[in-house]
Amino acid sequence: MNNKQQSPVKKLLAIRGMGAALTAFVGLVIIYIAFGLINSAVFSGQNILNLLRSMSKYLLIGIAQSYVLITGNIDLSIGSLVGMSAMISATLMTTGMNPLLAILISLLCCLVIGVVNGYLVGKFKLPPFIATLGTMFVARGIAYMVNGNRNTDAIATGIGKEAADKFQNFFYYGKTLGVYNTFWIAMIVFIIFFFVLSKTRTGRHIYAIGSNVDAAKLSGVDVVATTIKTYLISATCSCLVGLILCAQAGMGNMEAGNMYEMYGVAAGVIGGVSPLGGTGILLGTLAGAAVWQTLENGLNMIGAQVGIQRVVIGVIVVVAVLLDVVVRNGKFGKRK
Amino acid sequence: MKRRLLAAVCAATMVFAMGTVAFADDEVKATGDEKIALITMDSIDQHWITLNEGAQKAAEEFGVTVDFMSPNTKDDAQQIECVNNAVAGGYNAIMVAANGPDAISSALQEAVDGGVKIVYVDSPANVEASATFSTDNKAAGQTAGEEMIKVLEDAGVTSGKIGIINVNAATDSCVNREEGFRAAFDGSDFELMETQYGEGDAAKSQSIAENYITQGVVGIFGCNEGSTTGAGNAIKASGNDAIVGVGFDKSDAILNLIDDGYLYATMAQNPDVMGYEGVKAAIQAINGEDLGGEVTDTGVSVLTKESK
Repeated sequence: MNNKQQSPVKKLLAIRGMGAALTAFVGLVIIYIAFGLINSAVFSGQNILNLLRSMSKYLLIGIAQSYVLITGNIDLSIGSLVGMSAMISATLMTTGMNPLLAILISLLCCLVIGVVNGYLVGKFKLPPFIATLGTMFVARGIAYMVNGNRNTDAIATGIGKEAADKFQNFFYYGKTLGVYNTFWIAMIVFIIFFFVLSKTRTGRHIYAIGSNVDAAKLSGVDVVATTIKTYLISATCSCLVGLILCAQAGMGNMEAGNMYEMYGVAAGVIGGVSPLGGTGILLGTLAGAAVWQTLENGLNMIGAQVGIQRVVIGVIVVVAVLLDVVVRNGKFGKRK
Repeated sequence: MKRRLLAAVCAATMVFAMGTVAFADDEVKATGDEKIALITMDSIDQHWITLNEGAQKAAEEFGVTVDFMSPNTKDDAQQIECVNNAVAGGYNAIMVAANGPDAISSALQEAVDGGVKIVYVDSPANVEASATFSTDNKAAGQTAGEEMIKVLEDAGVTSGKIGIINVNAATDSCVNREEGFRAAFDGSDFELMETQYGEGDAAKSQSIAENYITQGVVGIFGCNEGSTTGAGNAIKASGNDAIVGVGFDKSDAILNLIDDGYLYATMAQNPDVMGYEGVKAAIQAINGEDLGGEVTDTGVSVLTKESK
């Protein structure tokens, strides 16, 4: 690679996946301005704060799904893990348990499902679609059963108003430095997992498996261990989102996180994470999550009919995947 | 003399006319700048669409803006986002049908703290509002139960199993309807079975109803539109129209089922009244009037084949 005289822009574009991510960011700016021109409230400070907060949920889901997608797998249980985490933490708190302990137990339960996913896909070579479809139903079932098939009471009834306020403010309603905590939480998680994916050996192994799993195995990559790691990361992020939803509503909802795994795929794909595996960077996922949330927020603010939201988002996802396929096999030659 | 009489009559008429106008106006004066956000549980159920129609009628009449900003499905997180969007969008008042008493309370409190007025339609939450317009669900459920007992006893049936299809255990309005319904059967010889939940989905509710019918029920109660539709369709499919179906809410499907005799009656709420009166109350609240959090029962009509 000729590093001499390369402009910083060229260097940036040379990073694999950056092109797709930047395209998504450009798209994001265009969409945001378009909505703002229709309804200036979109530009208001409060709306921006809301956007950053609600985008954080999708960013975390996007990170979860991206890690799995890059290895060429998929995790359909993400949404159910979100619901399970929300229900377990809320139910435990309504019994008066210390929030911290409730959070840890929630996390543990999600990690168990993550390990199961990892083993089924990595060790027993089950098609990831089937394996995680199964755990998706199991986790959702657990979410239903945890509180006897009903949504929980308000967590304040168990741990008291003060503790409930602290919990809810920490994950959702509180601000730090003028921006909602949810955003900072997502940012910290993003930075950590961005680092893992781009700068550590595990990250390189993840890309290797996604590109060519046989070659990766022959090069000494521990496919089973790496696969399990991706599903554990996915489970962790899902658990976190479940806690955020629990804090948002101040109670556990059995249907929490419904369909979130699909939103995770959308966020990743819009940002350049290929569902075929091997490509994509988390920066792209960030752009994808932002695009998704800006669309949802914008369409809501301009009073668009509900069906239109779905159609628009679906079209964008398809276009993003088409671009991915064209770039891989078409105009720019084979990218490997 | 005649002229003086005529003058007196004219004067009296004028005073009388002015008086009637004053009473009819109800003291609702809008400046036209009022922006109201209407957030219901979802944007697809006929009940909410009718509520919105009532609200839009009031909006046109009084010259204010009412924007329908409901989520597409019943989801606490999405409803909270809608409340947040309403606050960020600069609305002066929010008319809301809360999914449940707790979930959106924090978000509503933030809105109140920011000076936004709250009016509850159909289902209140735990935050103090200017006014509430809803159906007394427990009373309506009891009426439904009494209607079912009446029909069964007229047919000579005084005992047997009754199936109840509810939405879920979290929606207060439906839970209250079931409570009222069960109360009507106190002291009777009928056996009320364990409630099953169909999530308000007609198809799921129909499966539940079909199971009830297999177990030999003499009556089925549906707690909302979807549950009622499912119950009626199941009775139709079973071919046994001796089973008494009583339900809640109004829709073309339900009215057809009543016409065909597969359902006996439905408790029709008045969501359009909730919407209309809710907007009026919101305008008054925005303009500084203290409505004192009054709760108004907008009532139900018992719709049967004869009374439709």
